[in-house]
Amino acid sequence: MRLPTVEDVERLLPDPESFRSRARGTGLSARVGVLLGLTFGICFLTGIWSHLQYDPPGWLPIGPSPTHLYRVTQGVHVISGIASIPLLLVKLWSVFPRLFIRAPRGGRARVLELLERASIGTLVGASIFMLASGLLNIAQWYPWEFSFRRTHYAVAWVAIGALIVHIGVKLPVIRDALGAPIDDEPRPAPGAPTRRSVLLATIGSVGLATILTAGQTVPFLRRVSVFAVRDGEGPQGLPVNRTARAAGAVDAALDPGFRLEVVVGDTTLSFDRDELAALPQRTHRLPIACVEGWSRDATWTGVAVRDLLDLAGADPRSEVLVRSLQTRGAFRTSVLPGQFVEDHRTLLALELNGEPLDLDHGYPCRIIAPNRPGVLQTKWVQRLEVRT
Amino acid sequence: MTGVRAALIATGIGLGLWGLWLMRDFTGGELLSIGTWIAGGILLHDVVLAPVTVALGVLAARLLPAHLRGALGVGFLIWATLTVAFVPVLSGQGGKPDNDTILNRPYVTSWLVLTAVLLAATVLAVLVRRAQARRAQARTVQSRTAQGGPTADAGP
Repeated sequence: MRLPTVEDVERLLPDPESFRSRARGTGLSARVGVLLGLTFGICFLTGIWSHLQYDPPGWLPIGPSPTHLYRVTQGVHVISGIASIPLLLVKLWSVFPRLFIRAPRGGRARVLELLERASIGTLVGASIFMLASGLLNIAQWYPWEFSFRRTHYAVAWVAIGALIVHIGVKLPVIRDALGAPIDDEPRPAPGAPTRRSVLLATIGSVGLATILTAGQTVPFLRRVSVFAVRDGEGPQGLPVNRTARAAGAVDAALDPGFRLEVVVGDTTLSFDRDELAALPQRTHRLPIACVEGWSRDATWTGVAVRDLLDLAGADPRSEVLVRSLQTRGAFRTSVLPGQFVEDHRTLLALELNGEPLDLDHGYPCRIIAPNRPGVLQTKWVQRLEVRT
Repeated sequence: MTGVRAALIATGIGLGLWGLWLMRDFTGGELLSIGTWIAGGILLHDVVLAPVTVALGVLAARLLPAHLRGALGVGFLIWATLTVAFVPVLSGQGGKPDNDTILNRPYVTSWLVLTAVLLAATVLAVLVRRAQARRAQARTVQSRTAQGGPTADAGP
């Protein structure tokens, strides 16, 4: 009785020549790979951008204009992620026989082959991880023990790094394949699968996947996107990311003794909701743009944060720390940088689409500012602390 | 080109190492969960999805004439890749019980409709293909008869 050797296992596995379909091949892999490189590139850049918008670094003061910037970048992030799914599956299908290539015995060739295999394994594992974790996250399904935000960010660097290594390794193969016709001669019988038909079907699937989901952020697709996580509806015509109950904000938000505090140095101004409503009101049309890729415009009415700072005698370009009444969950506070405070469209909103804010939209009052990730649009605001 | 390739490979390794560095303070439990998901993703594809697809391809090659396989392959590809992309919304998992603004559509019904539409389109394409193949065959037979037998086919 002996343990099975590598050779024993290899005998049980098919070898690359056992895969007969002529629809697979470099002509297809390279073309699908180019498309996948594009969608991954877009995903990576918009993802990095999203992290910058969450925590704007000092060297990049992201401001309130353009109003719809985050709505577009994050919408594109999720759209290109979903578009990557058919591309990745077909790419893996096309190269699947290569999984069974036997590494050369010994020497430099074997080392190189094993190194390339490691880089491919990293690329495939990280790619599947990125698409799966992103896809589950937009459905608010978290069957894992890690922080989604930090992990999706870190593995993104691994995925894009492995992709760039892969492009470097395969560059000559890619150039040859793109320079040659996609299908070999002689062409298969009419009606038989060709690489061209697989490529066109893949592009068709990408198009369908996009149309059937992008309506959560693209208004004219809303009714068509029957597989979108959000249909764009909700109380007062707007979806909700976190309810008042989930945030543990119900009791404090409905307390008739509620007062909003504006703190500047040692002085504190406080207003009940009627007093806030008696201040000069501004109305703006601004989007809620969630990191989960859905977004929708709405009409918001309330007091401009800079008007409150004027009342308190503070510089209207000051940074403001916003504290919520919520007792559970992340993002109980947010920081409004000076360039947002200065913009009169940054509101402490009291009304949404002409009605007093729904409890789940942040009653008694919430922050809404142009070009901000949804989680930073703090709801159930209790206190504005001006940092001078 | 060697220089470009070396630069790409070096850049890629650098970016990947930066990603690993970002995970340096993750707990053992977190890393285990990440590792499980990465390995699980590879295994799910290489051991389940890909072999099943290969088996279906082999079956199609044994049972079906070549001129029908293209249309069936296209239909299957679109159906299978879309189904994978829609797994989360079809699963009934996710969302929050107190929030009816998420996952609030009849996804399973939509998927059944999608499946039926793709199936109908595939059957239609197969029927058209078969009719074309028969016509082509009939033409060949006709021209052979007209030209006085198969030898005339040798042509230029």
